[in-house]
Amino acid sequence: MSVITRIAREEWRALFRDRVAVVGLALLTLLMLVAALNAWEHQRNANAERARYQAQANHEFEMQPDRHPHRVAHYGHFLFRPLNPLAAFDPGIDPYTGNTLFIEAHRQNSANFGDVRQSSLLLRFGQLSPAFVLQVLAPLLLIFVGHAALARERESGTLRILLAQGITGRQLVLGKLLALSGFALLMLLPALLMLAGLVASGQAAWQPSLLLAAGYVLWLLLWSLMVVLLSGLLARSRDALLALLAVWTIGVILLPRLVPDMVSSALPLPSRFENAIHVQREYLALGNAHDPNDPTFAAFRESILKEYGVTRIEDLPVNFKGLVGFEGERLSTELFERYATATFERQAEQNRLVDHSAWLSPTLAIRRLSMTAVGTDLTSFRHFLEQGETYRYELVQRLNRLQSEKLRYADDSNPNRENRISHEHWQTFPRFDYQPQPLADTYRQTAPASLVLLVWAGLLMALTSLMGARLGTTRQ
Amino acid sequence: MQSSPNTSAATTVLDARDVEAGYAGKTILRGLNLHVRRGEIYALLGANGAGKTTTLSLFLGFLKPSAGTVLVNGVDPFGAPADARRQLAYIPENVALYEHLSARENLAYLLDLARQHADSRSIDGALSAAGLQPEAFDRRLAGFSKGMRQKVAIALALARQVPVLLLDEPTSGLDPQATAEFNRLLNLLREQGVAILMVTHDLLSAADVADRIGFLNAGQLVEEVAASGDDRFDVRTLHRRYTELGA
Repeated sequence: MSVITRIAREEWRALFRDRVAVVGLALLTLLMLVAALNAWEHQRNANAERARYQAQANHEFEMQPDRHPHRVAHYGHFLFRPLNPLAAFDPGIDPYTGNTLFIEAHRQNSANFGDVRQSSLLLRFGQLSPAFVLQVLAPLLLIFVGHAALARERESGTLRILLAQGITGRQLVLGKLLALSGFALLMLLPALLMLAGLVASGQAAWQPSLLLAAGYVLWLLLWSLMVVLLSGLLARSRDALLALLAVWTIGVILLPRLVPDMVSSALPLPSRFENAIHVQREYLALGNAHDPNDPTFAAFRESILKEYGVTRIEDLPVNFKGLVGFEGERLSTELFERYATATFERQAEQNRLVDHSAWLSPTLAIRRLSMTAVGTDLTSFRHFLEQGETYRYELVQRLNRLQSEKLRYADDSNPNRENRISHEHWQTFPRFDYQPQPLADTYRQTAPASLVLLVWAGLLMALTSLMGARLGTTRQ
Repeated sequence: MQSSPNTSAATTVLDARDVEAGYAGKTILRGLNLHVRRGEIYALLGANGAGKTTTLSLFLGFLKPSAGTVLVNGVDPFGAPADARRQLAYIPENVALYEHLSARENLAYLLDLARQHADSRSIDGALSAAGLQPEAFDRRLAGFSKGMRQKVAIALALARQVPVLLLDEPTSGLDPQATAEFNRLLNLLREQGVAILMVTHDLLSAADVADRIGFLNAGQLVEEVAASGDDRFDVRTLHRRYTELGA
């Protein structure tokens, strides 16, 4: 056994004779298991519910009777966002964003029915999840368990005795680090088993699971390094504990809450109400797509008449009302897209600023990596909304096309006629099939956060090594 | 009592030449010259702040001299601290060992770190030789008296089988019987050829066991006397000299 592993073994023996470490580990493991089971159950129920509702919505859409296509377009459809099974690990922004999208003609609705709006106020204190336990509580336990690792040796005088046996300061520091990292790995074990279970049962892909596991290993290694470093730098264990608690409070609690608030103030988003007013104002200026004689569509009418070589819309071989609906939907969708893209870009800009702040607080980095790997971050939510919008646009335009091809203009303009087409048409429409982000995108999006964690770990390792080399020597 | 003879380089194990050292910009040792030979007990006496513990820190490699040379069995303890420390055993004034471990476990752990893997028989042998009662071998150190801890530290030094032993106020807080027993162990180590440097305030103990006594004053070795004859040292003369130096 090498000197380093011997020191680590002895440290482990001391740790497991310490009630704080044993009780703390037991409590954390219990919390982790409760969090994992609770989150998994919640996620399973949510997914089953969403799948059931999606099937019901599909059925109701397809079972519509013979109808006018534009009525079908206004009848609308519901789309539900299926959750990645890994979301049980880190719910991310999912409880806040909503997961149900109502799609219809001429409107781009936002998602509704987030858990937070449907639950009691208690959820607003933060959902208990394995990610929360590992990001917030695990570093705290590492601090309580490891703050005295080196300071205790210095205080009791055993540091000189240890060094007098011919070991180097670096060996001592590495031994302590090995012991504390081993303890951290024990804390991580229930989460790793949960991930392994999800992968083994085929519910989750191994690549994002591995990315998640590697991220948390790095995160806890970073904290082990921080604890050992400050324990070696400060003369008394009490000072080390206070310093580490200050680092934890600022880095894990304060900055991750303060930074997004500061970024929101620096780059404010227009309110939903404000956006809706602007969109509505511009939408009205686009003209009324229900009225083929609306003057704003005069140029469009002329171009269609010219294209078909006729002088009256009544002479067109297609239903001009359907064509106007088609053109109106194209224009309104462009308008919605412009506003949606501006909002998303603003949010992305806010996120970029928050991501840059991760250099100050790596908690922001592990949070980003974790949410992105499990698909509960803003980008993933945007991905769902964009797919939903594409589906909406194609559905409405298909109905507009049916209106223009299957109904005659003269009949369609007669309020006394029932203009319906066969219900079989709705049954041939493709169903919404949400495709999660490609893995390459996930890797690309998590790269900056991974880099922050790696650089922090590297920096702490260098400082810890330097501290180890000077351990026991007296400044002149 | 006679003046110290010239040290032979061949047998010198602890060697400090023209050493200057201090802490936080304050010079403690000013041109210290000190040599301890194989199989010799050297007692370094001096007042508080004279530089006794600083001298030990130099040999342990915990402090870098600002001038001069320090060698432990030919190794520079600041340049190659781990190599130098493998040559020595160190017993601080307040023996600091692991309270949650037994005497046996303490020895096993520290000997492992010194890469001197000892079986339980040799550990028990060292503890017995140090005078610890067998029923205390498996007791945690939390319940040990200072004398018992001292014995565990001595057992470690015995088991290490190193050529150098550094002692910081070894008899402080020990009763006369424990002091006598401790001195007996030092004699045993001297017979084995160990070079022992002890810094102490205990004039009687030093006179009882040391081969040479050096007086340190304001960072300089101002006088050195060697034992001679059956009486070894004239304690009255030593005491007078000691008080003259303000110790």
